[in-house]
Amino acid sequence: MYDQFETPEPDEAVKLALRRIEESTAHGEGSDAAGLEFNEVVVNMGPQHPSTHGVLRLVVTLDGELVKDVIPVIGYLHRCKEKLAERRTYFQYIPIVDRTEYLASINCEWGYVMTVEKLAGIRPTRRAEFIRVITGELMRIASHLVAVGTFTADLSPLGTAMVFYMFRDREQILDLMEELTGARMMFNYYRFGGVRYDLPDGWVEKCREFLEMFPAKIKEYEALVDTNAVFLQRCQGKGVITQQDVVDYGITGPNARASGIELDLRRSRPYSVYPELDFEVCVEQHGDIFDRYRVRMDEMRESLKIIEQCLDMLPKGPVQLGSLRAPYVITPPPGSAYVGQENPRGEYGTYIESDGSRYPYRLKYRDPCFCNLQLFPKLLSGNKIADAVAISGSIDLVLGGIDR
Amino acid sequence: MGLVVGSNPMSMDALAALLVERFAGDLDDVRIQEPDTIVARCAREKLKDVAARLKADPEVGYETLNFVAGVDHGTSFESIYHVYSWKTNTWVELHVELPRAEPEVDTVCDIWPAADWHERESWDMVGIKYLGHPDLRRILLKDDFIGHPLRKDYVDLAENHPHV
Repeated sequence: MYDQFETPEPDEAVKLALRRIEESTAHGEGSDAAGLEFNEVVVNMGPQHPSTHGVLRLVVTLDGELVKDVIPVIGYLHRCKEKLAERRTYFQYIPIVDRTEYLASINCEWGYVMTVEKLAGIRPTRRAEFIRVITGELMRIASHLVAVGTFTADLSPLGTAMVFYMFRDREQILDLMEELTGARMMFNYYRFGGVRYDLPDGWVEKCREFLEMFPAKIKEYEALVDTNAVFLQRCQGKGVITQQDVVDYGITGPNARASGIELDLRRSRPYSVYPELDFEVCVEQHGDIFDRYRVRMDEMRESLKIIEQCLDMLPKGPVQLGSLRAPYVITPPPGSAYVGQENPRGEYGTYIESDGSRYPYRLKYRDPCFCNLQLFPKLLSGNKIADAVAISGSIDLVLGGIDR
Repeated sequence: MGLVVGSNPMSMDALAALLVERFAGDLDDVRIQEPDTIVARCAREKLKDVAARLKADPEVGYETLNFVAGVDHGTSFESIYHVYSWKTNTWVELHVELPRAEPEVDTVCDIWPAADWHERESWDMVGIKYLGHPDLRRILLKDDFIGHPLRKDYVDLAENHPHV
């Protein structure tokens, strides 16, 4: 029978945390000047904790309010994405890629489709390339809106106001995407050599309306947040990611750019039509929570710029390759390919090994959040537990991508 | 520190020639994968030495580990290391072949700290053992899971999931 007072057997992560405490006390570090042993507690944060933004579990060792050690436990959302690829053709696998990192699903699709195209030597049509950039950048804005919205809610001086404002704007992007693809989040829109549908009538005008409306909203949010004394106090100088951390742990995306590194795959390893577009790589210098927030806000502006240019330059023509009208059976030659794509959270890489059959032999994701999360023990230790929540919010994790 | 991407740009041919020269006898089958990756093989006994030298090279310096992937090739396993050079803005893909009977290789955790979780994932999914890894636990699957699902001979049985 279920006994509510029964203490469950601690799992490996908790055992590890307890072992580490024992080791540190055995070395004599555990007692203060008066010879009193200090009082460390192991607290289990998550997997159902509102501030972890998903099913992330942190086994935190606390000394009072101070975080001594963090052991992240992941895998609660593992859906065997890499295993599923073994029994699905390249084409059948596209909708599954959507479900890895669900906040920027179209960018993940893009990464996967580009890798298969590289393997098979397919070049997408020019109009399709522009549509890909437009949709990809729209989803970047949508993803940053969720990231900043939920993060400001964690910090609480503004309550949940920002979440609702930002979700309201994100809704407009999702409406645009729904009109284009038929789905709101799981698009299944990219195809090898192009995209599924051409832009519907009037879509470009609607998109332009959004581009006109949105800059004023960004300004409004900045007015709400950037001058908020409580927000600034909680953000500035906290959770600093140094450039050495970026090098050691492979941090990418806005988190790396906030530390003063101009690392953007759209520039440093350009793909699609990005070399033709004029945009800036947003960089901040301090690497703290506030800078990571600033980079995301600036990037939304740059994305708007990119979309506007693409709408102006949008060429006429087919959105799918004529020779690949029905690319259901695609058999890339044996070999391997890796393509890194600038996802809103960093480098989203897809590595595919082909044995010449209809199924990928091995598919592996390099997820940006997986790599960023690895820094957590180092980043959170030594902070107050409330700051730890703020820091983890500013890193912007999506557990669907981490657990795959 | 002032980290700049691509401070020492080199053509891929020059880079491949440089690696062939510096790692003569250690790196085999060095070839260029367009546009910016060099693929090479390395014997597993030499991996640690090659990794340390790749990272420390003053001119190219592959300082960041991108990911580690384990692949089951039927008769053998393969551990793939994808590393990035900030100076030249290029990647090296290092393939290390491991015999099926003994899928073990030295860890590169102490050289590239990022390898920690990636090696755990490779152990979890493909069952490649990274010798000297500080904490080689399962990462995505449950602690009590039995087997390594990304092996091609893995059969999914109810007994493999004792926690369900």
